[in-house]
Amino acid sequence: MDFKTKLSHLKMPFTPPAHDDVGARRVAPVPVERLDGGEQDDRFDRLRALIGDAKQRADRRMERRGEQKPVTRWNELPGVEHTGDHGAFHFVERWLDPDHRHGKVPVREALNASAEMVGKLALDATLCELDLSRLLIVDTETTGLSGGTGTIPFLIGVAWFDDGVLKLEQLLAKNLGQEAAMLRFLAERVRAASCLVTYNGKSFDWPLLRTRFIMNRVPAPLPPPHLDLLHCTRRILKPRLGEVRLTDIERELLGFHREDDVPGSQIPELYFQFLRGAPAESLAGVIEHNANDVIALAAVLGKLTQHFEQVHDNDDPRDHLAFAKVAARASDEARALRFARAALDGGGDAEVAVGAWSLTAMLAKRRGDHAGAIEALQSALQASECADASAALHLALSKLYEHKARRFDVAYEHARHTESIEGVESHQRRLERLRRRLNARADG
Amino acid sequence: MRGSDDLLEPFSEEFPGERDVPWERPLGVSGVVDGWEGRSKIWRNVALHERLAPTEARFAPFPETLSPRIVGVLQKRGLSQLYSHQAEAYELATAGRDAVIATPTASGKSLCYNLPVLNALCADRQARALYLFPTKALSRDQETALRALLTEVGLDHGAITYDGDTPGDARRAARERTGLLLTNPDMLHTGILPHHANWARFFANLRYVIIDEVHSYRGVFGSHLSNVMRRLQRVARFHGSNPVFLLASATIGNPQEHASRMIGREVSLVNESGAPTGPRRVMVYNPPIVNAELGIRQSYIKVAVRLTIDLMRAGVSTLVFGQSRNNVEVMLKYLRDRMVRLKMDPNLVHGYRGGYLPETRREIEQRLRDGKLLGVVATNALELGIDIGSLDAVVCAGYPGTVASLWQRFGRGGRRGGESLAILVASSMPLDQYIAQDAHYVLGAPIEHARIDPDNVEVLIQHLKCASFELPFEQGDGFGDVPPDVVNDALGFLTSHQVLHQVTHPSGKTMFHWASDAYPANHVSLRSIGWDNFVVVDQDHDRTIAEMDWRSTHTMLHEQAIYQHEGEQYQVERLDFDNHKAFVRKVKPDYFTNAMTYVRVSVLEQEEKAVLPEASGELVAGALEKLEAGAGEVSVIEKVVGYKKIKFHTHENVGYGEVHLPDMQMHTTAFWVTVPESVVTAQRWDRPTVVDALRGLGHAMHTVASVGLMIDPRDLGHTLGDRSEPDEAPGKSHGGGPGFDPTIFLYDRVPGGVGLSARLFQERESVLRRTRHLLQGCACDIGCPACVGPVIGAAPGIEPTPNPELSRKQVALDLLEYVGITTAH
Repeated sequence: MDFKTKLSHLKMPFTPPAHDDVGARRVAPVPVERLDGGEQDDRFDRLRALIGDAKQRADRRMERRGEQKPVTRWNELPGVEHTGDHGAFHFVERWLDPDHRHGKVPVREALNASAEMVGKLALDATLCELDLSRLLIVDTETTGLSGGTGTIPFLIGVAWFDDGVLKLEQLLAKNLGQEAAMLRFLAERVRAASCLVTYNGKSFDWPLLRTRFIMNRVPAPLPPPHLDLLHCTRRILKPRLGEVRLTDIERELLGFHREDDVPGSQIPELYFQFLRGAPAESLAGVIEHNANDVIALAAVLGKLTQHFEQVHDNDDPRDHLAFAKVAARASDEARALRFARAALDGGGDAEVAVGAWSLTAMLAKRRGDHAGAIEALQSALQASECADASAALHLALSKLYEHKARRFDVAYEHARHTESIEGVESHQRRLERLRRRLNARADG
Repeated sequence: MRGSDDLLEPFSEEFPGERDVPWERPLGVSGVVDGWEGRSKIWRNVALHERLAPTEARFAPFPETLSPRIVGVLQKRGLSQLYSHQAEAYELATAGRDAVIATPTASGKSLCYNLPVLNALCADRQARALYLFPTKALSRDQETALRALLTEVGLDHGAITYDGDTPGDARRAARERTGLLLTNPDMLHTGILPHHANWARFFANLRYVIIDEVHSYRGVFGSHLSNVMRRLQRVARFHGSNPVFLLASATIGNPQEHASRMIGREVSLVNESGAPTGPRRVMVYNPPIVNAELGIRQSYIKVAVRLTIDLMRAGVSTLVFGQSRNNVEVMLKYLRDRMVRLKMDPNLVHGYRGGYLPETRREIEQRLRDGKLLGVVATNALELGIDIGSLDAVVCAGYPGTVASLWQRFGRGGRRGGESLAILVASSMPLDQYIAQDAHYVLGAPIEHARIDPDNVEVLIQHLKCASFELPFEQGDGFGDVPPDVVNDALGFLTSHQVLHQVTHPSGKTMFHWASDAYPANHVSLRSIGWDNFVVVDQDHDRTIAEMDWRSTHTMLHEQAIYQHEGEQYQVERLDFDNHKAFVRKVKPDYFTNAMTYVRVSVLEQEEKAVLPEASGELVAGALEKLEAGAGEVSVIEKVVGYKKIKFHTHENVGYGEVHLPDMQMHTTAFWVTVPESVVTAQRWDRPTVVDALRGLGHAMHTVASVGLMIDPRDLGHTLGDRSEPDEAPGKSHGGGPGFDPTIFLYDRVPGGVGLSARLFQERESVLRRTRHLLQGCACDIGCPACVGPVIGAAPGIEPTPNPELSRKQVALDLLEYVGITTAH
């Protein structure tokens, strides 16, 4: 039996098992041409539904024009064919209005960020010296979400400031053969940049791009310093928001609400459908999604550094506390104290108060002000409503009284409450030692 | 199943023979065997006792090109020269030739591949090598050995095992710096190749690929691995390297062909061992029958324990192999109980199996070398190349399935100079009994062939998906030794199913890109064919205890089935067919279940045809008529119609149940033997009796084929169909009625086949002769599981046996006699 006949006997399941996010809508692949058979019809129906969705979204966007200045107003694939030394690919470029706002935040505020603030915010000293006017924001849309050598960045969005105006460029592979040209173009942009700004780019976008440079035998640019805003927003906003997906940050920090955004989990399938001949407009939503991601990063960068630079009294006390902690880690004690103070004055709950006082105590200890540390810890203890937190504070106080203030009696009183935090054995040892020292002093 | 009927009873007094033989210690091997020889209760069960003469060592000087640093280390270790096969392998490897080394266990195989690798590292700071081992334990063991070698030679390339247990920071080091990477096929398939760009430096400098224990990669797994090798070579080429392949195999019938199939290139064979062997006795011990009707023999576990005790009491250090972890623990317990009663120190014997910590193992090895241990009871964890020094005797409790692994186990015993002993204790299982009947079989030249079919279309297509994810295909590309036109057809097929996307690049090249969201290697299991695995969920603890391929699900996970897992029994309470889950609950039944499968084969294309026996003078003497053999592509429909409950220990049938599951259909390859109706009617029995005996003959042929082909018996299926016209292909089942020619089918139970049937067709004469030999030698009265299979009682959907008292075995033998099939000798 020849190979072709054997192939015809193969029963291929259509798509491998889904491993999307739970609840994400699974979309069927689209045949290039109509095949006979009922099974195919079903897939056609789903395709029609999908294209219908995309079209409706585009229509709704058209209707909204004027109400809330939308980022895009495409109802078909925007952009032009880019040709030249790099090779051909599809290219969308836009200069944003100098006063363009993403939500409530003007994107140009990113330019006001001081490199020093950015470096401290990112806990990365290499960023402190940079010329931020030459930053390059990068975000990719890929053919798969689980990585691996064959996952392709089919849409690369970059943005940078050109004379104070944010310029957005999107590179789209209209077929998979255009990837190398896109990468050559991207390499040029990266080489010209002082640093990369991404959201989760350190673990996702950049390793993926590096792989693709190798695969396409395009010389990869030396990686410039890299500001991954995911890590910054996680440190600042996670205590308050819990989730720090870019869309969450955008909503809470920038006041930008995406409507009819294409869910990330659907993007690979939409692209494959486009490759198989689905109308270009089905990609319009993906391009918009990517543009929003890139622009949002400029605004997030501006907003975060601005609020780190100076205390904004109206900010949530949890944010103040988070800023204080970051400043402390960046050894900016004065800023840390200002934010800790703001957190205490902001009327936050017991947890915030305990956190702020503890941080104050830590800073006091760092400068050798043990009395100040004790005072702050006692304030924390007063504010504490949580048994474990109290036990930890008692422990810190006991240590300070024992080793610094050498008040063994007070140390002993505090040590009586520390069992839950340090375990029975160390607790007993601590009490034993303190008793010994008390007795020794009494004898002496 | 094997052995589970022996496990639960404690050691009893039933063993025949005196218990209080006061051996003078130490007697040595010959003293013990002489003692057995003098006692008929033992000696009459010895099916084979053969003395093998020692062989002399053959040496070769250190090769001139071998780095003086390495020579220095070898000399420090006490070697002044190499064995001839080590030098031969070295010369081939350094000349850039791929080679397979197929010499016996303990002949110094690892040096054969380590020398060229180390030599390459000495010359090149950047050189890398990839080692593939079938098990994690073996990788870890070799990692330690290689690290020691590297340190002694003064190389800082490093060696690291890269598998699921490797911590994150070590993974980075492995990718970027490590010279020697040790891994397993699954990790290479899912963890390395799909991320090869991260391994760019490794692949660019890859000089050698070592595949150890290559004979263990056979059937479906081997066919998959061969395709992983095609992918590996493709990726290496992309990064600019073309590594030399060095493979090591146990002694099998076709090491060169197998290795060459495995990597798709010409391979040189090194099989003349220069290592010396001491004198050795080989014995096969077949425990006596206790139930002739069912062919049940005395527990081989207890017999193995008894023989081991005799050996240890005489001061003979003994390694006992069990078939499962559970078996090992049971034998260890029996041995220790027995030693206590004999006032021996029970700590003289120790267990050794997968899951023991490396420190524990080192400790056991050390105590063995120091003579502080007299015995070790091990699973096959020890079979594959792990170094524990050597012992005086090896007792193999149960046949490990192939002569090759039997000899791997036997090879664990034997010290230079002194005499050693190797004993196989046969169980009641068909393969064991086959070996016991024909015990000289274990001494002959290895005839077992490791079979793979890298071009199995289902396997190939899966790896083409993985390969196109790793690197897009260009039109006109081949894939290893798969020619471009076939690759092109397959790529077209994948494109039409939208798994690939075809693009014309600006340069004018037509490329096929991966175009699906899923990461393909994650959905391709090297251990099975197909996509649909079922998970087995323990309801009491809400955890997944096992995964099973779709095909086995039908027979093993139907509702009410007793599912056996690591020595525990679970009952399937619910099979959620749509969601691929089986929910089980732990039970302690006194029975197990056996699915009854209805099988129907129809021939799609007959590719081979021959008469049996072949028309040559002496073979057909006395034959009145002949059989007809064929082979080709078939469609197989298997349907599980019900199950039997079979009582532990007695194997009584204690009930039936129905099963309602969809048919399983597959296209595969089959070998068949048609019995012309005239032959059937010429027998002195009525037609249904003859047809029933033919069913039994199929069962026996299945056993014989499993032994000869070195396959898991489960990879082969058998059934009885028939043929309506002499010129027509057989296959439509008419229940063996008049006017039709009954046909025995043996088929590859793997979609697409892995080449078993083709080989069976080649060996058709031998299969039938050996089958006759098996039936003649079997000690049962009317047929048993070891020969023509269990008598099929009345059951729903199964025809009753026409003549239960009649010996099906005899009817089958008469028929073979009638057509002129003689025995093998």
